[in-house]
Amino acid sequence: MKKETAIILIIPLAAFACLCTGRYPIDPGQVFPLLLSGIGALSGPETGVSWPEYELPRELVMIFWNIRIPRIVMSIMVGAGISTAGAVFQALFRNPLAAPDILGVTAGSCFGAALAIMFLVPLAWIIQSSAFIFGIIAVSLAYILASWSKDHSPSVLVISGIVISALFQAGLSFIMYLANPYDQLAQIVFWTMGSFHTASWTKIQITAPILISGILLVSLFSWRLNIMTQNEEDALSMGIDVFKWRVFYVVISTLMVACSVAAVGTVAWIGLIVPHIARYLTGSEHRRLIPATAVLGGLFLLIMDSVARSILMSEIPISIVTSIFGAPFLAYLVIRSGSGKMRHEPAA
Amino acid sequence: MSLQLDQISAGYGKAHVLSDISLTVTPGRICALMGRNGSGKTTLLRTINGVIPLSGGSIRLMGRDIKTLRRPQIARLVSVVPQVSFTPFSFSCLDMVLMSGVSRIKAWQSPSAREKKTALSVMTETGIRHLAHRPFNALSGGERQLVMLSRGLFQESPVMLLDEPNTHLDFTNQHHIMSLMKTLVKKRGLTVLITLHDPNLAHYYCDDVILIKHGCVLAQGPTAATMTDDVLLAVLGGNIRTDTTQSGMFVVTPRHVDHQAIAGTAPGKQEINP
Repeated sequence: MKKETAIILIIPLAAFACLCTGRYPIDPGQVFPLLLSGIGALSGPETGVSWPEYELPRELVMIFWNIRIPRIVMSIMVGAGISTAGAVFQALFRNPLAAPDILGVTAGSCFGAALAIMFLVPLAWIIQSSAFIFGIIAVSLAYILASWSKDHSPSVLVISGIVISALFQAGLSFIMYLANPYDQLAQIVFWTMGSFHTASWTKIQITAPILISGILLVSLFSWRLNIMTQNEEDALSMGIDVFKWRVFYVVISTLMVACSVAAVGTVAWIGLIVPHIARYLTGSEHRRLIPATAVLGGLFLLIMDSVARSILMSEIPISIVTSIFGAPFLAYLVIRSGSGKMRHEPAA
Repeated sequence: MSLQLDQISAGYGKAHVLSDISLTVTPGRICALMGRNGSGKTTLLRTINGVIPLSGGSIRLMGRDIKTLRRPQIARLVSVVPQVSFTPFSFSCLDMVLMSGVSRIKAWQSPSAREKKTALSVMTETGIRHLAHRPFNALSGGERQLVMLSRGLFQESPVMLLDEPNTHLDFTNQHHIMSLMKTLVKKRGLTVLITLHDPNLAHYYCDDVILIKHGCVLAQGPTAATMTDDVLLAVLGGNIRTDTTQSGMFVVTPRHVDHQAIAGTAPGKQEINP
């Protein structure tokens, strides 16, 4: 239990540290008055605020409330959502290497975004809706394809997901091939690597309901995930309608990932790696694993995004940062944990 | 009768694996299901568990037609103890046992403290209380089979199906599991159907036996009276006979062990369904 409390305490601390860092550094002493200014001055943070010791310039309040806070909120939410979806998919597919994009949601969303940038009106909300809808279409197609097979095991679903992913990936590549390299292509490429620089209160208003209710629903129904990791027939004989519940979990996870990708583009790796870190801390039991995964995912992506926006003069796409830090971290965990803990399947 | 099959047939797709099987299993008795590889034993267990749909006949569990029951209701009536395997994620043995309580709780609930106590007392009964917090995947085959058995018992269903529970176990563990089953069945009044390959185990521990071949029942009845030389020859293949040891123990042995015969029964050359 101590580990869990420690993790939960780290989040506000990390958020505080990340509020101060960035290309426009904010003095830690200013954070508190800035926070109060937002709550106190409900008329809007457009006006400058005077505080006994600090004179807070208008642009500082603007940056703080309209850029930095939304970005931090968004990165915590998306991190928690994608990581939770990753833990769910690993349970459903009984495979610790499954990632939330295994059924094609990421490929579908990127294709949808590229399609909108290229052929539809390149307005933010149209790109976002198109990405969201195509993410869901991709997973639905994978499900339909798998349902044509007599074999209802998750491996058939994974193969259909790979097929659908490949097709949407090809579509995306084709659009990129056609795209004008000076504006459209750059926009599409940035999408496929993800970034939080477009985070705003409007985007939070759209994504928060899906992500928060998704995480809460998965947490509420988390104990059953233990049984979903068992052999299908064992799960059936214990009294779970495996096929019905699989659809339930896939729908929630897909909605979470699709709305994340629609808001910020692809965020690589965290859906795979964060559940592993969480499992290392809390074990495989999903009633403890799911909340731990959500909290750690939020924390992890918050830190990664702060790195992405402050380490270089210009913004680094988020997937590059999550891969550079995430992959070696997973390797470290695997090597350090030695025998037993990370061993999911026994060595022959 | 707690388990009653009436002229059932079932199979995969169009192929019928089971045809016209009728049998009943009585509470408080262990019934062995025997037959060669591919004779339909596992298919029969899966059909009773409602995993394979019936193409004819009816199955009644505690007097209720299985066709009218939903998944959790079937689970409240039948538990299945599968062959030992590993789990993809590392769960503790207690977590493994608790899973089978799922049909008793609401979808959003997790097992209560009382359920945990019950699970631990089941594990005490099967002699694995000390393993409760050990990771399941780190145990030996015999210990894992006892965990699966505890899980079946914790499901608290009146009928229990065991699919070759002895497959990966050593000699001592095979007898341990079977005598444990015998005690538990008497104590809890369970109805048990168990598939076995070793006719000796069936003879020592099971009250009744059902012998099937090509998906049909060839013989059924009390073990001692049913397992005669003629029946064994007809069901389990040509190279088999019953005997009595010097100490008066009933045994089933091969008729002859010569190397020619063994080479002849090697996989590939073997006539699986003579």
